[in-house]
Amino acid sequence: MTAQSLGLNTFQSTMLLFAAGAVLLFMLVISSFKLSSETEAQAEKIAEQRIVRMAARKTKVGLLNAETGQRGFLLTGEDIYLEPYFRGIADAKKYLGDLMENAKDRADQDRIAVIAPIVEKKLAEMAQTISLAKSGQRDEAMRIIGSDAGLNYMGVLRDNLESITERADTAVGRGLEDLSTSANRLSITTAFGSLLLISFAGLAFYIVANNTGKLQAARDSLQTLTDELEDRVRSRTEALTEANDEIQRFAYIVSHDLRAPLVNIMGFTSELESASNRLAGYFARTASDVDEAAAASIATEDIPESVSFIRKSSVKMDGLIGAILKLSREGRRELKRERVQLDELVETALASLQHQIEEAGVTVDVEPSLPSVVSDRLALSQIVGNILDNAVKYLDPRRPGEIKITFVESGGRVKLRISDNGRGVAEQDLKRIFDLFRRAGKPDRPGEGIGLAHVRSLVRALGGDVTVESKLGEGTVFTVDLPKKMSGQSPVTKEQTA
Amino acid sequence: MNTDNASLVTIVMIEDDEGHARLIERNIRRAGVTNEIIPLVSGHAALEYLLGEDGSGGVHSKRALLILLDLNLPDMSGVDILQKIKTNPHIRRSPVVVLTTTDDEREIQRCYDLGANVYITKPVNYESFANAIRQLGLFVAVMQVPAAE
Repeated sequence: MTAQSLGLNTFQSTMLLFAAGAVLLFMLVISSFKLSSETEAQAEKIAEQRIVRMAARKTKVGLLNAETGQRGFLLTGEDIYLEPYFRGIADAKKYLGDLMENAKDRADQDRIAVIAPIVEKKLAEMAQTISLAKSGQRDEAMRIIGSDAGLNYMGVLRDNLESITERADTAVGRGLEDLSTSANRLSITTAFGSLLLISFAGLAFYIVANNTGKLQAARDSLQTLTDELEDRVRSRTEALTEANDEIQRFAYIVSHDLRAPLVNIMGFTSELESASNRLAGYFARTASDVDEAAAASIATEDIPESVSFIRKSSVKMDGLIGAILKLSREGRRELKRERVQLDELVETALASLQHQIEEAGVTVDVEPSLPSVVSDRLALSQIVGNILDNAVKYLDPRRPGEIKITFVESGGRVKLRISDNGRGVAEQDLKRIFDLFRRAGKPDRPGEGIGLAHVRSLVRALGGDVTVESKLGEGTVFTVDLPKKMSGQSPVTKEQTA
Repeated sequence: MNTDNASLVTIVMIEDDEGHARLIERNIRRAGVTNEIIPLVSGHAALEYLLGEDGSGGVHSKRALLILLDLNLPDMSGVDILQKIKTNPHIRRSPVVVLTTTDDEREIQRCYDLGANVYITKPVNYESFANAIRQLGLFVAVMQVPAAE
């Protein structure tokens, strides 16, 4: 379709077509109107010419009747001939008036200008002969008639009036021709316009039907795509859930299996330690020469030092394995949905930190009437507890600590903001702080880098998200964004794939 | 049965980790327990010993066994072994001490449900571990173990 080659879409081309149809219809109406008013004007002109023709003819007839009456009266002297004479005069006057009124043609007007005074003269001549005859001077009247003046008058009048009649006849003939042409043109235009309109309507119908069909097909294929997409999402979700479960199992198994050799390392380290203690005791009792003193120093210094490093590293490793285990276990725990009053939860979390808070002289400001949510109580208290614990732990010693807990409620979600004026986190560390075993800032506080990793995995399990904003040396804000109602029957492992 | 019976108890130690086996043995000995200890390093070896060649368990008839069982074995789950012990008519009365690194609550529960008598988590902290074993040793010294039927 050309519309497509013009880069128009179906809707645009349809609209264009309708607009073209409307314009066409408008033009058709206009030209019909114009043509019919033209026809009307022509008919009017014809009617005018007919009036002129009739007036000229009747004027002539009136004059001829009057003349015939005059002659009859003069010949017979009978009054009976005066009746047509007067009627003829009245007619001639009346129709001459009509003629003068209606004649619009220039030549007609010229002719009327010629005949009007001659009509007067003719009438005057006739009136004179009639009155002469009445007064008995009939011969005098006959003489006037015999003078041919009246005959000449009548000839001029007849010629001119007949010319007018002829011209009007011709004009009427021409007008009728024009009228018929106009009428033809009007009917052709109407027929052509109607044909065009019908084809436009047909084309529009075809396009609309075609488009509706295409639309239906598009909708069908969209539906198919949507169904396919849903299937794909479902299978992907299943795959992800499976993968996530596998990771959980993997973490669990790995941490367990790592523990077994650690038991040996720790156990035999202790065995070694007690053995070297016994050895040291032996040397303490018996060492006498230089060689033995050197051996004694191995037993009392070198071995215990090595042993203590092995032990410290093992303890640390055990801590790490324990953390992985804890996280994987949290991930496997079934969440319990219940209504949790956040202000009570925060209060409990603060109470368990009461000692540290008082020792550090921290001011805690909790926004009144925190909302309640439907969520897992244990997970929530661990989330809030961990963040508050960090806030108290990483205060800036240069100023008294302040912790603020506020909230924003919107669209089925609650944002809990826990802000402090502590030492803050450098920008480059903001991303790492949620990673397992990663910590930020000076490592001058005890910790393994587990707390926030735990917080993040818990918040995600609850269908929420946790974000951090911070400025080094100014403070930190943690925002926990939670759904007001945790979606039901969602084990942690499923949520974590999201 | 009398207390002398305790000295006749045979300790069957099902443990694939040689180090753990050695540490357990050392600590049992340190507690003054001199009973025979039979170390078995795989699930198959354990079942072969416990059920005998005919698989009936009758080989231990009239013997008193104390079974130390690690759950993480390379060839089969310790839980399966526990189940076989506790459903065998000859040895089902033998006390089973589950010794493992797992402190998963569900697993502990499962072991007790299957008839485990004691469940000990192997702590990485050696002192606790040694203590637990020594106490177990002391316990063995005075415990009454019924002979297998």
